[in-house]
Amino acid sequence: MAAISGVSPAGAAKPFRLGLTPVFLDNDAAVIERLQVALSGALGTSVEMEQRRTYKEVTEMLLEGALDAAWLCGYPYLQHRDALSLVAVPVWNGEPLYRSYLIVGADDSAQALSDLEGGVHAFSDPDSNSGYLVTASDLAMKGLRAEEFFGRTIFTYGHRNVVRAVSSGLVRSGSVDGYVWEALARMEPALTAGTRVIARSERLGFPPVCARSDRMQEGDLARFQEAVLNFGDSADGRAALDLLQLDGMTRATPALFDGIARRMQILNNLQ
Amino acid sequence: MNFWRNLSLSLRVPLLVAALMVAVGIIASQLVLSQLDRHQAARIRELARLHVEALSVALGPHVLRDDIWEVYDTLTRAAGASEGRRTVFSAVAGENGRVLAATDPRRAPVDSPIAALSAGAERPGALSLGRAESRVRLLAPLVYQGRKVGQILTELDISDLIAERNATRRLLLLGNALVTGILALLGYLATRRMLLPITRLVAWMRATEGAPHPIPEDQIPAGDSELARLVHTYNDMVCAIEAKADAERRLAERERFVSLGRLSSSLAHEINNPLGGLLNAADTIRQYADRPEAVRKSVELITRGLKHLRDVAKATLEQNRLDRTRAPLSPEDFDDLRLLIGPELSRRRQSLDWAIEAPPSTLAAFPAAPLRQIALNLLLNATEAAGEGGRLGLAVRGREGCLCLLVSDSGPGLSDAACQRLLGTGHDLPGGGVGLRLVHDLVRELNGLVRLDRRAGLTRIGIELPIPERPEEAPC
Repeated sequence: MAAISGVSPAGAAKPFRLGLTPVFLDNDAAVIERLQVALSGALGTSVEMEQRRTYKEVTEMLLEGALDAAWLCGYPYLQHRDALSLVAVPVWNGEPLYRSYLIVGADDSAQALSDLEGGVHAFSDPDSNSGYLVTASDLAMKGLRAEEFFGRTIFTYGHRNVVRAVSSGLVRSGSVDGYVWEALARMEPALTAGTRVIARSERLGFPPVCARSDRMQEGDLARFQEAVLNFGDSADGRAALDLLQLDGMTRATPALFDGIARRMQILNNLQ
Repeated sequence: MNFWRNLSLSLRVPLLVAALMVAVGIIASQLVLSQLDRHQAARIRELARLHVEALSVALGPHVLRDDIWEVYDTLTRAAGASEGRRTVFSAVAGENGRVLAATDPRRAPVDSPIAALSAGAERPGALSLGRAESRVRLLAPLVYQGRKVGQILTELDISDLIAERNATRRLLLLGNALVTGILALLGYLATRRMLLPITRLVAWMRATEGAPHPIPEDQIPAGDSELARLVHTYNDMVCAIEAKADAERRLAERERFVSLGRLSSSLAHEINNPLGGLLNAADTIRQYADRPEAVRKSVELITRGLKHLRDVAKATLEQNRLDRTRAPLSPEDFDDLRLLIGPELSRRRQSLDWAIEAPPSTLAAFPAAPLRQIALNLLLNATEAAGEGGRLGLAVRGREGCLCLLVSDSGPGLSDAACQRLLGTGHDLPGGGVGLRLVHDLVRELNGLVRLDRRAGLTRIGIELPIPERPEEAPC
């Protein structure tokens, strides 16, 4: 996976390492570059954008200290709630909330999750809330396991990939981040036109930017949090937010993710 | 085929050379095109092999892990990145033959049997190309780390290669056709030029109209080529023909004199007979000069005898003179003939049936000399054949545009050699007279026919001569 670093104004200063996953808008190099420029400018030091294929990899890097912070998902955050703290949560459509979408092919007649039994289903990542947990917990509420309810399940490790898989007909249905689907509907309408949303989850906590709790008091993380929370104040930051179709960043408490926690509980109960 | 046979050699040979040039051009083109096809097929096979190998390398680990998304993603990226969208469709199946992913999942859904799609697919190494196939379908084992982990079915768009091949074929065919055309034309012209002496020879032969003339020296090809020798041989042959014709003319002339010679003894006898009477009449006049009645009778006798002699002499003179005058035939000519053969008939005590029934206008359409010669020769032949006390006849009739002469005799019939001379069949046997041969030649010159039959003890020689459209010119 790539590690993209910006040039440090201080020259020899240690770069700040931010982890990203392809679950996010992984295909847009322009977004990542803009983020990097904005953060470098705000922090006054170079920023390395570390991308990995899975949440699991990024989370482990963060826990091991290979990353200073990471843009994760509420699900892995809650999985490691004792070790991780919230730095900031993106604001989308005025709230730090989003939904999970259950999508099928545009010409599919399915109306609900129950209609998809036996089909091939695409998840984005086993540690993704919108791309796995929501659908798995919906099935768990009915006493069903995803791998048994569906004829076959696959992980695409990218919300955009889920949309591609459903749109192309590779799979019948998919679980996707509602924010990503809506963003794609604006940027790549031809891609989402091949899909149809048949179910939307309740509003859940938006994927947060996290850091290790034991490092939250460190100066660079404090500066990073400050920079992220004020992202919209700089031109570069605003441009990056516009590309991400986000309103801004805000502080949040763990209570924001109670909905995800409930779903985790449901799934754990089944297991 | 008849058209070809009717073509002259000077056209047939050049055309044959041109056709051979075209055939060589076609064969050469075919060889080059087949080589081009082989080259293109090898190129496409190599392309297919590399394509499959590249996919195997990229897909191997994903297929091994049944990672449907990665297989799909790799396939679609490979298809999107392929040169000019070469890959139209690809599907990958695992070891169980079930599809893991395809570039068009709707055509090859996940877990569907790949066998349903692979009908008619070929191995990359054994790929054969049709003339106009723009796509090829390949099925190859997916080998990863030396182990077969699945199968790859792929459809390649080779329309650009086919179009390139067709364009090359067209260009090649056009070029070869042009070169072949030029070579064929050059071959045609060169052969025509080489055969020009033969063309001239044929023209000379055509221009002769029955009397061949030698080709002038300045028109004989230089050197000692076969054609020069051919022309020299032709000239020698023409000289030989002329010599033969001269000999035949001399023979005919001799025959005329021979027939006259045969007549001469009869004529002498014919002259001698009245001479005795005339001398007796002269003695009577001398003895009985005083007896007017006796003198008058004797003078009348002498006058008749002298008239007879005058007629005989006149007929003989006519026979010699006619050749030069080209006078038209008349009934009087037959009277002359009757007079000429009369002594021969008397000597052999033969009887004669004489019927000249053709109208004078019909007779006048023919020249007198050859007709007289024909009739005289046949009559002399008949007197010879009929023998002592025999019977012969001459009938001359006009019938349906023809003049028919029929000479018959009661003889034993013509010998085989005589028949051949008269009818002009086979080669002339040595010996024998030229009278019947002369009849045959004269009849042929007059475009007539000779018929020969024998019935009721009579040998009948019929001569049919078509009446010419324009009568022979009257003598000046």
